[in-house]
Amino acid sequence: MSLIFRLAGQRCNSQFLKNSNGLISCIRPVTLKATNVSPPSKEGHDERNMKLKRPQSPHLTIYAPQLTSLLSISHRATGIVLSGYAIGLGLGAIVLPESIPHYIDCLHEMGPAAVSFVKFSLSFPMAYHFWNGIRHLIWDTGKMLTIPQVYTTGYIMLAVTFATAGFLTVM
Amino acid sequence: MALALVLKKSLSVQATQNFFKTAIKVDSKRPFTQILSAIKKEPIKVCRESKFNTPKRLMSGDHGKLWTVERGVSVALLGMVPIALLAHNTLLDDVLAASVVIHFHWGLEANVIDYVRPIIFGHAVPKVALGLLYLVSISTLGGLIYYNHSSIGISNTVRKIWKKE
Ligand code: HEM
Repeated sequence: MSLIFRLAGQRCNSQFLKNSNGLISCIRPVTLKATNVSPPSKEGHDERNMKLKRPQSPHLTIYAPQLTSLLSISHRATGIVLSGYAIGLGLGAIVLPESIPHYIDCLHEMGPAAVSFVKFSLSFPMAYHFWNGIRHLIWDTGKMLTIPQVYTTGYIMLAVTFATAGFLTVM
Repeated sequence: MALALVLKKSLSVQATQNFFKTAIKVDSKRPFTQILSAIKKEPIKVCRESKFNTPKRLMSGDHGKLWTVERGVSVALLGMVPIALLAHNTLLDDVLAASVVIHFHWGLEANVIDYVRPIIFGHAVPKVALGLLYLVSISTLGGLIYYNHSSIGISNTVRKIWKKE
């Protein structure tokens, strides 16, 4: 069968060439050979990259930090920190030998620097996650998603966050 | 040989015909979109292998509705956090505890699914991690509600930290 096609193709070819009709002469007959379809690879994208020892994508140690990616991972980080506080309070209330108010009294005895440190450690993640959470919820409605808008709201959020956290710390 | 001759004839005729057909069909203004729309009519069947040996992530089913509920809780938290922290009311402290725990549980669950993947940790560890998270979340909710009722509660704790000497 392929022989027939090849013969036919060759004939056509020579005819076209003889024809030397500019456009058609650039059509080249091709012989197709049928082969069995190889089954789709069982190996997934992640397995393949691991096997080839490819670095993580994006390659974080060489990929330039950007406001977008930094603010994104910070939302996750502050969410995890806040969760840690909530879990600490909830489990602490059950397992700690003394009551929580007793530990707060101890904190105040340690002096204003320690209190300010705790206030900032509580208010900064909360302020960040609160204000940036608004940004996330706006994006979830499909708004403010252009790159300039993401940068503008990002800088506004950062300013408001530091103002809020600073105010709550000195309050 | 006769067949070859026939083929030769038909090929040369077809080739020229097809050439002009395509040349006429695709109008020069938006040839690419026309090609695309022609392709769209005949959907490409993507052969997707659904039974990979290792699941990439612990995912199941349709999460569309859960996503909406998660955003609803986030919007509610936006109001609940300031209101409850300023109101100093045991009931509001309980509502705050419940909404915060459900919110961080979903958040941490997403983290477990993202980072504790079967491809890295094998089949057992991700399930254990998720089970542990459930245990921690439920214990935290229980602990916070116990604290709200047996001690000063969440909002008064914050006030006590912030109180001036
Ligand atoms: C005050 C109001 C809050 C709002 C408006 C809010 C909003 C959000 C939103 C929208 C997300 C999803 C982000 C995304 O789409 O990737 C999120 C994630 C999360 N939130 Fe909150 N949140 C609030 C308070 C809290 C609190 C109090 C905690 C912990 C105690 C918390 C813990 C988390 C965690 C752990 C995540 C998952 C982060 C991630 O995996 O990306 N959030 N929050």
